[in-house]
Amino acid sequence: MSDSTDPGPEATLAAEYVLGTLDLAEAEAATLRLVTDTAFAAEVAFWEGRLAPLALLSPPVAAPADLWTRIEDSTAGARASDAAERSPSLRAANDNRLIWWRAATFAGLAVAAGLAIFIALRPPPPPPVLAVLTPYGTPTPVLVALAGPDGAITLRPTATIKIPSDRDLELWSLAAGAKVPAPLGVIPQAGKTVPPGVASGTTLLVSLEPKGGSPTGLPTGPVLYAGRLERFE
Amino acid sequence: MPAEADFASPAPTDAELIARCAAQDRAAFRALYSKWSARLHGVALRITRDPALAADATHDAFVQVWQQAGRFDPSKGEASSWLTTLARYRALDMVRRRGREVLGHESAEEPDLGPDPLSQLLTAADGGALKRCLDMLAADRRQLVLMAFVNGLSHSQLSAKLDMPIGTVKSWIRRSLLGLKECLAS
Repeated sequence: MSDSTDPGPEATLAAEYVLGTLDLAEAEAATLRLVTDTAFAAEVAFWEGRLAPLALLSPPVAAPADLWTRIEDSTAGARASDAAERSPSLRAANDNRLIWWRAATFAGLAVAAGLAIFIALRPPPPPPVLAVLTPYGTPTPVLVALAGPDGAITLRPTATIKIPSDRDLELWSLAAGAKVPAPLGVIPQAGKTVPPGVASGTTLLVSLEPKGGSPTGLPTGPVLYAGRLERFE
Repeated sequence: MPAEADFASPAPTDAELIARCAAQDRAAFRALYSKWSARLHGVALRITRDPALAADATHDAFVQVWQQAGRFDPSKGEASSWLTTLARYRALDMVRRRGREVLGHESAEEPDLGPDPLSQLLTAADGGALKRCLDMLAADRRQLVLMAFVNGLSHSQLSAKLDMPIGTVKSWIRRSLLGLKECLAS
């Protein structure tokens, strides 16, 4: 290294994420890290709060006249995350985290949703008999991922997960230690089956994407559900 | 709603409006939009330099406000920070995906940050400490940080615009951020 006083990228990664200087690949890697690295998420939250007044340096500009109508259309009757928010136990779990109030990175939601995801790797011979116990009295839909004897994974929502009509849920696998998830396809309302090949220890992520799935091969929208595939014993 | 109700009670705070959004209150959502859309759109437009992209970023930010209002905790941050951060990230994400390196950034339409932009920080709740810490940076390094945050410029754009080697840009920004962190945390 030619400049020995350069602290290197890691020391300021969270700050640069907030500052906006990371390129696409770096920013996407950092967004994923927010889901799994609470110390990193806390540092990002620190910088978001401290640098936010700089937004005052951009002069206000009236939004297009039709924008409110677009927003109304996009939000009418569809709240993908409201179920998780109604659950007092999930909210309590969230309260303990510095990252709680961050919305743009969706880490809090992913962590909260992770508590409500039930994953097992060793079902009885098909068809499995299964109960998913969710917080009583709340209609929280969760996703159940069940790996069969051949390693194929069956994914089923316990209730309809409401999302805007112009969006799809997309499934991703994040191998243990990996930084970048691999796409496993859009999840139809009824759930889906993933062919064998996803190893135990892999984290499954579900993100909200444009209709048809992410156009980039990486998650572009909020991660709504996350959970790790582990042996059920 | 009877008209006198508006006079009988003080205007709701942003945090209260967000809390009402979490309870599915469309009127609160509309009020939040009326109050914040121009500021969020301004933030997004400054970064995208493209009215259509900026409108998309503002749209997405407000959809997130509605969907995630229940996640905002006023004890952990300012509502203004939460709202503008949503718009900034959407705008940054869009210009990254579109390839911000190929967008024209040398055009005259890029607004100047002005002679004393930091004085505006004093109007924000947490702006005083930020201004004090930014004032401690050398002027050219402070300018780098401001151009990155406000205009959404990448390392290579800053390098081209200021005619500095990209390694110097990266190094200056990192050291400025380390200095800022120490100052802001104290």
